[in-house]
Amino acid sequence: MSTTFSRERKIAGWLLSAPLLILLAGLLIWPMYLGFKTSITHDILSEFETYPAGFENYKNLLVEPNFWSSIRFTLIFAAVASVIELTLGLGLALLFDRIFPGKRFLFSLMLIPIMIAPSLMAVMFRLILNENIGIVPGLLSKIGLSYSIFDQSNIFTSLIILDVIEFTAFTFLLSYSALQNMSSEIYEAAAIDGANKRQTLIRITLPILKPALAIVFLLRILDSIRTFDSIYILTGGGPGTSTQTVGIYIYKTAFIYGDFGLAAAAAIVLVLLLTPFMPFIIKQFNLGTESTK
Amino acid sequence: MRLKKTSIALATALSLVVGLAVLPNANAATTVKMVLWPGPEGDAMQKVVDSYNSSQGKKDGVTVKMILLSRDNTFAKEAALMKAKSSEYDIYFTASYLVGQHAPYLSDLKGVKDSLYLKASVNSLKVAGKQKALPLDTSLHFMYYRKDLIASLSANAAKYTSIAKTVLGKDLKPNTNPATWNWDDALATAAFFTQKYNPESPTKYGYALPAKNLLYNTMIWNDVLWGLGGNWLKNGQPNLNTPTGKAAIDVYNTIYTKGLTSPESSQWEYAETNSALTSGNAALALQWNAAYSELSTTGATKDQIGIAPPPGKGQRTHVHALAVGLNKFSKNQAASAKWMAYLATTPAMKTYAGAGGVPSMPSILEGMVASNASFANIIEYAGKYGYSESAGPREFDIYAALAEVLSPAWSGQKTSADVAAAADAAIKKLQK
Repeated sequence: MSTTFSRERKIAGWLLSAPLLILLAGLLIWPMYLGFKTSITHDILSEFETYPAGFENYKNLLVEPNFWSSIRFTLIFAAVASVIELTLGLGLALLFDRIFPGKRFLFSLMLIPIMIAPSLMAVMFRLILNENIGIVPGLLSKIGLSYSIFDQSNIFTSLIILDVIEFTAFTFLLSYSALQNMSSEIYEAAAIDGANKRQTLIRITLPILKPALAIVFLLRILDSIRTFDSIYILTGGGPGTSTQTVGIYIYKTAFIYGDFGLAAAAAIVLVLLLTPFMPFIIKQFNLGTESTK
Repeated sequence: MRLKKTSIALATALSLVVGLAVLPNANAATTVKMVLWPGPEGDAMQKVVDSYNSSQGKKDGVTVKMILLSRDNTFAKEAALMKAKSSEYDIYFTASYLVGQHAPYLSDLKGVKDSLYLKASVNSLKVAGKQKALPLDTSLHFMYYRKDLIASLSANAAKYTSIAKTVLGKDLKPNTNPATWNWDDALATAAFFTQKYNPESPTKYGYALPAKNLLYNTMIWNDVLWGLGGNWLKNGQPNLNTPTGKAAIDVYNTIYTKGLTSPESSQWEYAETNSALTSGNAALALQWNAAYSELSTTGATKDQIGIAPPPGKGQRTHVHALAVGLNKFSKNQAASAKWMAYLATTPAMKTYAGAGGVPSMPSILEGMVASNASFANIIEYAGKYGYSESAGPREFDIYAALAEVLSPAWSGQKTSADVAAAADAAIKKLQK
């Protein structure tokens, strides 16, 4: 009896999931299949014919220095930006986790950058920071300061600052939500036990927030790895390939060099490189364990 | 029985309605879809399209519909469509530097009268001797300079010579005629108008250098290479790892490392170069002809901007034409050809020019010199100094690869010796 019931539940589960699974297959698995198919094809825009190339594109990619330098830059950029954004976001969330005058207004103000598309943000930065007509260099020079934001020696720092301005709002928002879910009783208990603010933060707040912060960090790092538009607009990946992210490498390979096969191979390799992060994320969500409900 | 008759009548009526709906309308016009990008070219072309649709198009039985893709990604989107052998659009937007890459997907154009066009422009759209696209706007480069500043050089000859000696290590005298400049003259003048060397200079920097890793910046750097007598190829082989190739790289490297341009110019392209000139921060720049309208009417360069050919000798300004080509997979070949034939006429291009386009027809440009003085220079320079690389199907890729390889040397991170061999290797890899 119970076996039949369990089977029916399983069937119902699959049936109910079917629309989503079909949608996933159409939007994710099918394009990935096409991508893989292209990656094993000699497919260059200036050549009319395409033909199977086996794993030639993958072999070429492995010895392509620009691909690996773009991977290195992307990982460094993503790690540095994500750590700063998480730290600042958490700090701001802790600051906002109390009642003070003007909180609503400041809260709304904090969220503005995340509402603007990264490409639009980059165009705005190009105008605002333009040495000749930009408002920031103009104000700096008025007070006798000079800082070349796009000078080669400052470019990495500038790109990090711009990313932090845009995405700290994201880490702030999620950290703040996590803080709101914490029970006030825990704090009351800590206060009764004589814990000061620092002890409460280090021994109570942070350990409880740890899973949420891990997810925020991973989401940011995955998103940073996909960074394309803002850096492409600001530097084009240069000078040379010094600020080229893997996204820019793939875009240029496909749409400037017209080598769709190599670009598809790079995209597949990128997916493979990111896949090891997934079990960690799943673990944080406790998806592998049975719900008690 | 009655029901049967009613059913038959209804079925007949329904068949008639459906039949009439699906029957081709003998008078219906064929719609031709053409891709262009937004901006002055798209705006100007819309006037030509409207004019055609309301007159000649009716006689031809053709209605043209223009689709404006984004200015940044038009060619990327077209690349995807071409590779998929799509028939979605009948006419593609292309350019001299892309036509080699696009050629396999474009039909040959017949009946294009070369004599109507600037020679450099129409020839740049031929692949293996066949016309693959119809020229629209022609683009080339000018050496822009501040007339008011250059005029002051003669009065400061000793200072000029001293600065030239300090910065370039050469004994030079002021040359107040930029049309006769070589690159030493240009660099010495740029140094003279750089406050680091001449605190009394009205401009902070002498030069505005577009040194961003961008293929369009390679086109500008090509002028330096050609002006010094170099070229990408010699006897079909890459030719940048040579004294001339390295000297051309060193010109940019000197401008950047000696501080004749802003340190931020490592990320500059068209817009930033213009703003450096109009804001009064820079005195000279090699820049696209399209900048003239802004430079001649804005800020510090208003009424003070002079035009000269790029410094050096021989053919030394890059010329390319924006163009339209017929999709080989279009299902409306005949109708598209009718529209293209109209587009190749002088009246059509007059409409285009009247709406802000810069057509490649000298007869039309001559008639518009009163409204834009630079049109006279376009005609003269395209003929005398105009040049276009023809490095085969992957010319566009080579421009991009050179920007990638050379931009670290342009911005002083590397030297010409570091990058010249890599530049040759990049060309070799992309040659067919």
